[in-house]
Amino acid sequence: MSENKAVIGLSWQPKLDAFSSTKVEKISSKEAETSALYKPNSQLIDGLFLPPNDPRKLNKLSKKQVKDTAGKNWFDIPAQTITPELKQDLQLLKLRSAVDPKRHYKKGDSRSKALPKYFQVGTVIESATEFFTGRLTKKERKTTLADELLSDGNLREYRKRKVREIEEVNRPAGVDKWKIKKSRKQGRAGKSNGSKKRH
Amino acid sequence: MVARTPTRGRGGGGGGFRGGRGDSGGRGGRGGGRGGFGGRGGGGGSAMKRGGGRGGGGRGGRGGRGGRGGGMKGGSKVVVEPHRHEGVFIAKGKEDALCTKNMVPGEAVYNEKRISVQNEDGTKVEYRVWNPFRSKLAAAILGGVDNIWIKPGARVLYLGAASGTTVSHVSDLVGPDGVVYAVEFSHRSGRDLVNMAKKRTNVIPIIEDARHPAKYRMLVGMVDVIFSDVAQPDQARILALNASYFLKAGGHFVISIKANCIDSTVPAEAVFAQEVKKLQAEQFKPAEQVTLEPFERDHACVVGGYRMLKKQKAGS
Repeated sequence: MSENKAVIGLSWQPKLDAFSSTKVEKISSKEAETSALYKPNSQLIDGLFLPPNDPRKLNKLSKKQVKDTAGKNWFDIPAQTITPELKQDLQLLKLRSAVDPKRHYKKGDSRSKALPKYFQVGTVIESATEFFTGRLTKKERKTTLADELLSDGNLREYRKRKVREIEEVNRPAGVDKWKIKKSRKQGRAGKSNGSKKRH
Repeated sequence: MVARTPTRGRGGGGGGFRGGRGDSGGRGGRGGGRGGFGGRGGGGGSAMKRGGGRGGGGRGGRGGRGGRGGGMKGGSKVVVEPHRHEGVFIAKGKEDALCTKNMVPGEAVYNEKRISVQNEDGTKVEYRVWNPFRSKLAAAILGGVDNIWIKPGARVLYLGAASGTTVSHVSDLVGPDGVVYAVEFSHRSGRDLVNMAKKRTNVIPIIEDARHPAKYRMLVGMVDVIFSDVAQPDQARILALNASYFLKAGGHFVISIKANCIDSTVPAEAVFAQEVKKLQAEQFKPAEQVTLEPFERDHACVVGGYRMLKKQKAGS
């Protein structure tokens, strides 16, 4: 720092020539270094990457490259890149209490909408002694949780019924109210003139 | 829960862990009902049993295969997430299951289900399903215990290891950096324990009476946690003895108390209170007590510290 000051010449100190030889050498080497390793971004050729000279920047960069995990306490279970399928599966897990009427879950996490960050998707391996009730057949095995649920025949019926019920409730009350049904029409045949005109 | 499904029995339906104790008839009924697997625990003696005391059935009804290993069917997809406790994971699918990361991929210890995960970079990881009907530690975790103190890198002394089913999960929990000293008196179940320990480098099996820690003092180093599941009338004394030898000051203990084994004439709560009193007299500081109710009858799990340092006052 003091050297710099001396060079710039802002200070009142007299310039010292004592270490001139070493000083010159130092500066030259430094310049060579910078010229060889560091170039401003504008001078870099496209596609080449040089690690930055600045240790602080280098640190930042290396931090970015370290894999994001849940830490040593959970044996470094990694954060996953969320694909649309994966997101679907996670959302399904949150809503699984609606999937099967005969199964009940703790409320717990279904309230929050935040998806887990650190997780892994795995396949259950049954033990060799497990009977056929303990394993899925080859046809029943699917690649995602969503596929598994969709292919289940028992669940499908329940799901369809529920969807129908919900749709019935939510159907806009528009036409049905003033539409005269067929049976009703026959019941009061005399008065049906008006309604016919309307059509 | 048990009352709701009285007729279903153990094997009925895939109700997750709930199928575990369908028959609400006595503890003795559990080990026997399932043919085929009796060899594991049914015949195995108790940890520190020395004749007399309780009659024939192994550990007074413990052992055997409790429940199915989770209702998950082989081949189904699950999502494995970290649990609140360190080193423990939950597998979520149609059912939830507790898991630990398998130290020996490709091996099941007691025919439990495994969960295999293929990483993005092609490496494989495996988890093992932990059945709370077979393990009191798992039952305590599901019962909501605040801290089990057994975590990756911990050194654990396990009294009453039996055939090593829970020990294998504890060995998963502590990982390659930790150590588990598993003490078991019975030779028969000790054989299974030793076989399990052959594949797990962090388990040190000790076939010795836990009442005499002096006999294995040269094998065991200082430990952070003692887990005790000995089901003996004097289990508080056994724990205190071992703690005085091996447990570090400020270490922790986890003890599972079976009320029937200590005094079957008084209600369970009274027995638990009495045991906690005994522990307090031995420099233990019980912090919490959970009942293992849906999984085990009349059991409690007490967790606490040993020779805890007094908190420094702000002024001094």
